[in-house]
Amino acid sequence: MFYRLSGIHHTGYESARRLWPVPADRWQVGAVLVLALAAPFLVSNLYLGSYILPWLIWSAAALSLSLLMGLAGQLHFGYAAVMAIGAYTSIHLSQAGVPFALSLLGAGVVSALIGTVFGAAALRVKGLYLVMATLAMQYLVDWVIVNVPAISGGAQATLRTPTVTFLGLPVETLTQRYYLALAWAVLLTLFFMNVKRTSFGRALIAIRDKDFAAAVIGVDPFRYKLMAFLTSSFVGGVTGAILAFCYYRAVTPEQFSFNVSIQLVAMVLVGGLGSAIGGFLGAGFVLLLPIILTNVIADLGSSGWIDISRNLMSHLPLIFYGAMIIGFLLFEPLGLAKIYDNIRKYFLVWPFRHSRS
Amino acid sequence: MTETDTVLRCENVNRWFGGIHALKGVTLDIAQGEIFGLVGPNGSGKTTLVNCVTGFYPPQEGRIAFEGRDITGRKPHRIAADGIARTFQNVALFRGMTVLENILMGRHNLMNPNPVSSLFYPFMARKEEVAHRRKVEAIIDLLQLESVRDEGVDVIPLGLQKRVELARALSAEPRMLVLDEPMAGMNQEEKEYMVRFILDAHEALGLTVLMIEHHMDVVTAICGRVLVLNDGTPLALGPAKEAIADPDVVAAYIGGRSDAA
Repeated sequence: MFYRLSGIHHTGYESARRLWPVPADRWQVGAVLVLALAAPFLVSNLYLGSYILPWLIWSAAALSLSLLMGLAGQLHFGYAAVMAIGAYTSIHLSQAGVPFALSLLGAGVVSALIGTVFGAAALRVKGLYLVMATLAMQYLVDWVIVNVPAISGGAQATLRTPTVTFLGLPVETLTQRYYLALAWAVLLTLFFMNVKRTSFGRALIAIRDKDFAAAVIGVDPFRYKLMAFLTSSFVGGVTGAILAFCYYRAVTPEQFSFNVSIQLVAMVLVGGLGSAIGGFLGAGFVLLLPIILTNVIADLGSSGWIDISRNLMSHLPLIFYGAMIIGFLLFEPLGLAKIYDNIRKYFLVWPFRHSRS
Repeated sequence: MTETDTVLRCENVNRWFGGIHALKGVTLDIAQGEIFGLVGPNGSGKTTLVNCVTGFYPPQEGRIAFEGRDITGRKPHRIAADGIARTFQNVALFRGMTVLENILMGRHNLMNPNPVSSLFYPFMARKEEVAHRRKVEAIIDLLQLESVRDEGVDVIPLGLQKRVELARALSAEPRMLVLDEPMAGMNQEEKEYMVRFILDAHEALGLTVLMIEHHMDVVTAICGRVLVLNDGTPLALGPAKEAIADPDVVAAYIGGRSDAA
């Protein structure tokens, strides 16, 4: 097979530490990247704009959350609020004439500050109590956005994103917006993977796994939990801004409601906590599966294969969707990323069976 | 023993948990380069003392000084930075990481972990990671962990897990090593290996060791001096063989003559 561990010899620590030490993985990543770059020429605008673009951005959001939930082990059920802060900050900064690149940065900084304040409140508590603390953030931020006209433009208002250029490149047509989102998703993925293989990521994982053992070898739990909230909220804020400018283009508070936070948590859990590819798989699952299920069932119904009422037809996808989430998590609690990993490991030693556990 | 070569000094350390007086005025001095044993029946306060030393909770009375500086009540991560590393009775490794990553974790204080350096990995973090990997490989070599380097820590046997924990503590380049029952749950062969590794580390790195241990053969073999605790009270302090032969110590472990009647 094309996947082979045998014959790969590392002669230095640099090569052993590569992101993808197996050549087949590098080929795969390259192929996916080429496909992603060519996507605007391969698929219709409908698919690009309503499936691939949101998938990319939500994957970036799932990765941002996974940094906090997966690596540092801090539950966050108000992540949509973090993204909302980023989205609204970037829009207001851009409207005030700040260059788009800087307003993206500003979005990250403001999200990071506010996210860290709530993170600090959550430092004393763990688990379910932390969930409550972050829920408080969700509702407080929602309330402030809705009730301060200077932010939302009024209770029922929709805020349109101004036309902007990113470092001289216009961000207007679908293709342009797609490439900006792609660039952010790629940058964030690389960041995520680099965090995981460096001392910063190890410190976060140490706090997640055994906080007292982490403290005893010098990790200040307080500081690193704050750093986790800071970093995750920063990238979450930028992702929120990208979401507003590249996808929604008109922002209302409902787009960042509690449901969205739950969806993000679902993406991270279904995809696999703390895994880069899990972010993409999870976002794809949560975002695209309901659409596919709806289409499949509608097709089955209209073609006469199954005879069901229109009412049942609209609920069947939801039933299947819920069942599939439960099924996947029962089958593999570590998420889609683990399933992918198992398959990959199987082929790494194929035709032998060493890695089957 | 002169004042200068005292590494750890505990003076009249007292600790209560609610109504339980767990440490009743423990005083000890550990000299530079010494392997100091802490023994006593279960519940006698050995781990409590060690937890006070490494900052898990402060003693309510008394003073602990490391290399002449007062460390009473400091947070664990500060004490780690001061140069004390420890292992745990129940293995406390990071299950989500490989053996190698666990040992690298020990170098946390010597590295510069931050998200910016991770983001610019090729320019910033890579050099540091490789340099520290070299140091860690020396520890792996010392403790003969090469074969399990890339395994997850939860799939290797307990004996190796304890060795990984020792490696993690050593890679922090501490000046004092605190071992909480490094040989608990091990068979004879694993125990012999562990003793050898502790002696190797002690010799190669010039460490001072404070060790809680139940196996008296190990204690008498490698510990210079021993403090025997019973019910939070220091019973005997001195060279290992003499302290253990003390009539009070024997009485604490197996009951005195008067109890037998």
